[in-house]
Amino acid sequence: MTLSVSAPSGDAQGMTIVARTQGQLVRRRFFQHKAAMAGLTVLLAIVVLAFTSVGFGPFDGWWKYNWTQTGTVVNGGQPTLTLWPFSLGEHPFGQDNVGKDYFALVMRGAQQSLLVAFLVGIVATTVGTLVGSLSGYFRKWTEAVLMRWTDVMITIPVLLIAAIVGRMAGGSGIIVLGLALGLVIWPQLGRLVRGEVLSLREREFVEAARAIGTRPRRIIFKHILPNTLGIIIVSATLTIANAILLESALSFLGVGVQPPDISLGQLISFYQGAMLTRPWLFWWPGVFIIAIALSINFIGDGLRDAFDPRQNRVRA
Amino acid sequence: MIAFIARRLGISVFVLLAATIIIYVMTALSGDPLADLRQEQGPDREEKMRVRSERMNLDVPIPVRYLQWLGGLLSGDLGVNREGQSVAIILGNALSATLQLVVAATVMAMLIGITVGIISALRQYSGFDYTVTFMAFIAFSLPLFWLAVMLKQYIAIEFNTWLRDPVIDPPVIVVVSLISGLTWGALTVGTQKARLTSFAIGAAVAAVFLTFLSATRWFADPGLGTVVIGLLAFGTAVGVTALFAGLQYRGPLYAALAAAGVGTALSAVMPGLLVDPTWLELFGLLLLTVAVCVGLGYALGGLQRRQAVTASVLTGVVTAGLIFMDALLNAFSAYSRRMRGRPIATIGSNTPNFRGDFWQLTLDSATHLLLPTMALILISLATYTRYSRASMLEVMNQDYVRTARAKGLPERTVIVKHAFRNGMIPITTLIAFDFAGVIGGAVVTESVFGWKGMGNMFLEGLRTVDPAPVMAFFIVTGGAIVICNMLADILYAYLDPRIRLS
Amino acid sequence: MSEILNSHDGVVEDTHVAVRLEDVRPPSDEEILRVENLTVEFPTDDGIVHAVRGVSYTLHEREVLGIVGESGSGKSVSSMAVMGLLPRNARIHGKILYRGDDILKMSPRRQRDLRGKKIAMVFQDPMTALNPVYTVGDQLAEAVLAHELMPRKDALARAKEMLDLVGIPQAEARLRAYPHEFSGGMRQRAMIAMAVINNPDVIIADEPTTALDVTVQAQILEKLIEVKDAVNAAIVLITHDLGVIAGMAHKVLVMYAGKPVEVTDTDSIFYRPRMPYTAGLLGSMPALETTGHRLRPIKGAPPSLINLPPGCPFSPRCPLADEVCVTREPELMLTDGLEHRAACHHWEKMASVEDPTVFFRAESEIKG
Ligand SMILES: Nc1ncnc2c1ncn2[C@@H]1O[C@H](COP(=O)(O)OP(=O)(O)O)[C@@H](O)[C@H]1O
Ligand code: SF4
Ligand SMILES: [Mg+2]
Repeated sequence: MTLSVSAPSGDAQGMTIVARTQGQLVRRRFFQHKAAMAGLTVLLAIVVLAFTSVGFGPFDGWWKYNWTQTGTVVNGGQPTLTLWPFSLGEHPFGQDNVGKDYFALVMRGAQQSLLVAFLVGIVATTVGTLVGSLSGYFRKWTEAVLMRWTDVMITIPVLLIAAIVGRMAGGSGIIVLGLALGLVIWPQLGRLVRGEVLSLREREFVEAARAIGTRPRRIIFKHILPNTLGIIIVSATLTIANAILLESALSFLGVGVQPPDISLGQLISFYQGAMLTRPWLFWWPGVFIIAIALSINFIGDGLRDAFDPRQNRVRA
Repeated sequence: MIAFIARRLGISVFVLLAATIIIYVMTALSGDPLADLRQEQGPDREEKMRVRSERMNLDVPIPVRYLQWLGGLLSGDLGVNREGQSVAIILGNALSATLQLVVAATVMAMLIGITVGIISALRQYSGFDYTVTFMAFIAFSLPLFWLAVMLKQYIAIEFNTWLRDPVIDPPVIVVVSLISGLTWGALTVGTQKARLTSFAIGAAVAAVFLTFLSATRWFADPGLGTVVIGLLAFGTAVGVTALFAGLQYRGPLYAALAAAGVGTALSAVMPGLLVDPTWLELFGLLLLTVAVCVGLGYALGGLQRRQAVTASVLTGVVTAGLIFMDALLNAFSAYSRRMRGRPIATIGSNTPNFRGDFWQLTLDSATHLLLPTMALILISLATYTRYSRASMLEVMNQDYVRTARAKGLPERTVIVKHAFRNGMIPITTLIAFDFAGVIGGAVVTESVFGWKGMGNMFLEGLRTVDPAPVMAFFIVTGGAIVICNMLADILYAYLDPRIRLS
Repeated sequence: MSEILNSHDGVVEDTHVAVRLEDVRPPSDEEILRVENLTVEFPTDDGIVHAVRGVSYTLHEREVLGIVGESGSGKSVSSMAVMGLLPRNARIHGKILYRGDDILKMSPRRQRDLRGKKIAMVFQDPMTALNPVYTVGDQLAEAVLAHELMPRKDALARAKEMLDLVGIPQAEARLRAYPHEFSGGMRQRAMIAMAVINNPDVIIADEPTTALDVTVQAQILEKLIEVKDAVNAAIVLITHDLGVIAGMAHKVLVMYAGKPVEVTDTDSIFYRPRMPYTAGLLGSMPALETTGHRLRPIKGAPPSLINLPPGCPFSPRCPLADEVCVTREPELMLTDGLEHRAACHHWEKMASVEDPTVFFRAESEIKG
């Protein structure tokens, strides 16, 4: 990794070779991780199902109902899905009390929950990475600001600040909500990145780059960040898994996604009272939240093992 | 140490202060506090809006309102909510229930999580390890509110119904016994035969035990009785000695057995003496127990005095706990009758206007705490399990563990003395982080179980854009987090002599 | 307190008089430890690691045996086998006889009684070998109490005695110090104190100076020899550096790829190596006999212990390798010296030249 010392052109070449072999190793380990592969499959299936079935934006879905249209309640709204022999029936997930098709509702909820979660993940990761690496590299005031800010944030329970932010942003649609939530939960990731950068900046290849007068921006983006990629990707994944749960909890408490938007947590909250008479209204969104969060957690685990196989290596 | 605490508190005050600004301003900006009145059509609408504006000082800019609130806080006044009720009074009612919930959940999660994590690490790649890992992932992915609703629905309601005729169905006995057998089998190392034996014993013991509970309808009128207390106490004595002192030398074992003996003898007379105790009296008794056990350990320990004191004190405390449990369980059937046969509560943090002796009141809180605590434990249980597992695995690979083995120390000492303390060092940094998460979880749990706790106060304040209750919630929880943080730091410094508190 | 504790080893050791092997009592005939055809394998995901492949040696009372080899040659694994400290998945075969009893056949309980009491160990890295959260006194006393029930006070008194013995000043105060308050050299002294505290018969020192400052290395080795004399112990001195062995060991076992490849007395190793690998090690040693040549590290790397090639494991790096070498693995056999064994088909070639390291010099060097 000390390739950058002599010739900048050769260095680029050297770096890519190192990066590729490293990347190949990581990829191989990831694709051999069974739980992660299962998680990836389930997650992709859910994403495809949610976005194609009831349509998204200008695109129409293939499912016959949408989430707004009411209808007559058939057979008490019981789900018609049977697994063996497999058949969807008219309303596979049942209907609510005004006859809305619950499959359409859950799919719409899944779409929006996924969107919020990914938005939160992207925002938190970007901000956390930027602030973390800047403060780790430059120390001085950037670091002081980040550290003080995290000190403050650590005394505030995430749910408290997220609830307040949700209350402020929830009415403005899911995009705003996702962005806003991302902006309050980045410090955890920022601290992580900072710690990693702190240890990297003392390493020889960074010192060498500094010694030959490489500009800080280049050092951060070319030398330091690529080496923190593993930890960033892993925490981004886990942040998304947590964001799914956070969003659903906020929506459950009534301070997250607001009607007319629909999210999985909001569905559970909305139909909580129907637990005794129509339990499926409670089950389906719950199952989807768990499936999504579990898949993402498994993917995160696979990525962690792939990037840092230390934990399962035999000691020599 | 004092200097450290003072300094930390000083810094924390500023941190909390900064946090209050953020929260106050954001809450005040989060909506229109007059929104509901604007919708109203009644003739006194204007008047109501005027009253509320005045009470909430809506005429002055938010920073000024904040300063007014801060001034009130510094003189010990938490202000009024928008209906004019004193926040201090609301808080007073809400505080103890919520703190009980949060502390109970944190302590239980730590105890269970760390134990399971350590066992899982010591049995890496066993069936037990894989199962625990998988369960942890499930727990990481379960929405708390969903679980809470499930517990309320299926555990509380079904359990109460079942209690009318507490006979355990044979299929349930079979399944639970199998699970018990599988757990023991998975925990056993060694040959296939050893595992099968463990499986058989684990399953058989569970089956006999459950059948006994079912046949005697134990759940209708539970209790332990002197015999069971005695068995458990002597079992604890042997187990604790084996773990903390080893059975090689007699001193510690005798001390622990003596503690168990004294406890068992007392268990026959204690219920008569503890008709309506207070917590303070019980605490005094606990101190007395510890003192007596220290004496026993000292007298009987011989050259292994230290280990003997540890073993006898732990045995004594566990036995005292058993006696307490017994008394509490004995009060159960009467309590159950008063609750008209539905003792496990699903709503609120206690039964309104409930009167009774110490045991009745304690049972009342316990039955209300049970389900929310179970739900809330989920938040941190998996975290503690995963962290302590990872930490133990790391530590077991360290050179000093190898050195400890090379001295000829028994594996027990290597783990309990050398690995455990080092393994717990990173866990301390988790405590404060986790505690904040549990407080957030408490808000959700309280909401599901309809507690009029602090979470309710906070949510109500937030919905109505009313900063005073929100701030009161934060002052208490933020303060608790700061204190928790400090305790964690002190624990850290205690565990790791390389760290100096200064 | 910290002022005193942090004083540098060099300062402490000002008055030290060098101790060498010839200054202490010679070995007796009594056999303490005999290792016979020891093999250790580790099943791993990538295949079976043949870490040790047939090691044999004997150790007499007060004798010092040096085991030398590149890192990865199985030195540590073979000594951990003697200590009974290999991980559970290790497959161990052969015999390890302590005073005639096979350690591998003993109950775990009896193994533990020997460990730390009769056979003690000093590890490579003193910075990590001591538990950071307990005092040095506690860790020393614990080693005594693990084998003998006695008042803690007495165990601590014994610990102090040992710290005195290994040359740690103000022993009384340092018993209450934590490892991080010690320098590296002092920690290794403390480890030596811990190893000898129960008067063991055998001390296994696994690269005891590798992690230390060059300035303290010699002091530690001499202390080891001195202390061994005080408690009448034999030593297995493991190192990857032949230089460490000179003047410190009675006999030497050279290991390569899990096998002993040369066994003889220390002088013969230095003056009459009969295995090219040993000669290569000699050639890569700094300042030996100062022939004026540059350091010549042996080219190439040791073979994978998972897929060992047929023939001599050293053949890919050996300047003397020929057809025979790549087809048939040489046995450890007697060579010209008395009790001088080497595993090489062509040891006679080595015997025929004045300076066997010549084979490892570059062409140009020989011509020039
Ligand atoms: N627990 C283990 N599992 C698999 N391989 C191991 C294990 N311990 C050691 N080895 C391998 O055994 C070989 C010999 O190691 P070692 O005895 O430590 O060498 P050294 O001579 O440097 O002390 C090395 O290749 C090492 O990777
Ligand atoms: S046997 Fe052949 S390859 Fe092996 S050391 Fe001797 S000469 Fe070299
Ligand atoms: Mg080694």
